[in-house]
Amino acid sequence: MESAQSRTYIEYINSLLRKRFSSFSDIVAYGQNINAGSRLAGFTRGLAPNGQSLVLNTTNTENAQVGFGFGLMLGGKRAVFLMKQLDFLYLGIDQIVNTYNIIRNIGHASGSFTIFPVTVDMGYEGPQSSSNNFADICSMARVDGYAITNAYDAERIIMSHLGAPGFRILSISQRLFKQEIIDPGKPMAADPNTKYVQYLEGDDATIVTFNFAFPYGWQLATELKEAGLKVALFNVNYMTPIDWKPILESVRVTKKLVIIEDSKSENVSAYALRAAAAALRLEKDILVRRTLDEKWLNPVSDKMDINCEAIIRELS
Amino acid sequence: MSDRVKQDKRIAEEIIRLRIGQMIVNEEQKAKRLKVGVHLAMGHEAIAVGVSEIMREGDYLLPTHRNIAYNLVRAGAVRPILEEYRLHREGLNQGRSGSMNMLNPERGIIYTSSILGNQLAVAPGLAMSLKMDNKKNVVIALGGDGSIEEGSFYESMLMAQSLKVPVMYLIEDNEWSLGTHVKERRCPIDTESLARSLGLRYLHLKGNDPYAYIKALREMRDYAILTSSPVCVEVRVYTLGDWRLKTPEHPEGEIINYHAGPAPEVSLSEWPIIRDNDEDPIHVLIKYFDSTMLAEVAREQFTTLQKEVA
Repeated sequence: MESAQSRTYIEYINSLLRKRFSSFSDIVAYGQNINAGSRLAGFTRGLAPNGQSLVLNTTNTENAQVGFGFGLMLGGKRAVFLMKQLDFLYLGIDQIVNTYNIIRNIGHASGSFTIFPVTVDMGYEGPQSSSNNFADICSMARVDGYAITNAYDAERIIMSHLGAPGFRILSISQRLFKQEIIDPGKPMAADPNTKYVQYLEGDDATIVTFNFAFPYGWQLATELKEAGLKVALFNVNYMTPIDWKPILESVRVTKKLVIIEDSKSENVSAYALRAAAAALRLEKDILVRRTLDEKWLNPVSDKMDINCEAIIRELS
Repeated sequence: MSDRVKQDKRIAEEIIRLRIGQMIVNEEQKAKRLKVGVHLAMGHEAIAVGVSEIMREGDYLLPTHRNIAYNLVRAGAVRPILEEYRLHREGLNQGRSGSMNMLNPERGIIYTSSILGNQLAVAPGLAMSLKMDNKKNVVIALGGDGSIEEGSFYESMLMAQSLKVPVMYLIEDNEWSLGTHVKERRCPIDTESLARSLGLRYLHLKGNDPYAYIKALREMRDYAILTSSPVCVEVRVYTLGDWRLKTPEHPEGEIINYHAGPAPEVSLSEWPIIRDNDEDPIHVLIKYFDSTMLAEVAREQFTTLQKEVA
């Protein structure tokens, strides 16, 4: 595993991206400014092509860029479209839905295509930031989408999904860029495709984080431990509902469910888990979501407030 | 008969085969024996045959929803296409694509878009894969006068030229988008100026002369490959099959432009001409061949295709 010691989230992501990219000799990395200036704040810095591989700064043409990736995939190549902002991807949604549907319907594309945008969740973007919702895009087209939140899932997701046959979207959180990346160590359990990972085991409560909320859950679990409570901690990396069975097994024991979801989407798969868990006669059912006030379309912070003390009181 | 004459005759046979093949599909539509609606392309046969003639092993063709002429010419048979419209397992795509997204990867049709302009965006990526492998091939991306209204037309040409990849944008201009004539919906688009502004070589074709089309298209294909750059070809086509709809307002019948589904006033016949002028590629063949000989070719094609689909 790539060492995560004392590295920022974006440094670590970049190191994995470089490592994965250089392992192929037929991969095309492309996007706006990926090989110029700050290289998307360091995200795409230092990509070194091998063999046929290419690194291309491209035009501001998102629909054509998404089509370009599917074209490379149809031509048997590996493509990765690196994007500064997730919401730019709405300009290519027709390709993600219709072109991908045609390709997967017949199954004749032997190549690989990964779209790898930054979810801009710092705030201060104004109206456009309201559409920085990763799950919405994945749900619209029923596309495999994986959020990268820590050193473990970053390694698993980037080193197995990027460049693999087929199509998927991976995304990273701008909010976490400059933070030291969390290394949660070896997990208790993980889905083979990293749709979910269980990091901690415990009988006092089950914490499940969605989207890019893992750091909040990790912090809460740490504080709960200090308060003498041992909790199970799951992170759901996949953007649309999964088989909840492993999580529900934990909830069946703890009877206390804490869901932390930090996106601004109206419809989130956390609700599907909550509905499934409701049948287990929960003693505590806590949902932590972003609250949007009347200024949510103004340039304001996207930071989500989480009151760990209140949750600890509820669970104690 | 010289090789050249044989070749020319074969092309005429193909055009007639495509017309009668579409007339058979039309009869099936009229009889409601198809599961999906078909966008017939009677009148598009000359350009479809021309494109197929210049394609070489390894070239890609990305058609639109109105892909029947291209699929007929590339498949070389009517039956698998008809079965696809019936959504049968014997269909070209085992009944999984239907009409608007019909593919034939073995014959270069690797992607067909029912969404206006999506295929244009896919073309540069495919062309880049050819370039990476140093292949002397081209991607032919079809569109219509409707799809050039989409941003993807501009985006795709810009990207293809910026990345220097061999794409032939082939725009079939029939002047209609659904039931709206181009003059009813927009200002004129000077496609030539648009293409040239991005540095693309441009060619306009009209007249449905298949032999002229083949020569011109071959030159454009060669240029795209030689220079590893995109080119733009615009071709005037007339989608035949207009019909009259009698209404209280129009008791004599209002002309309805053919878009999709059955063409009620076109009937399967041994001599499949629809319009007695250059708007009909069958009519254009009379310039090159004795009409008695063409009629004989048509009879043979009619008999052969009837047997094929029986």
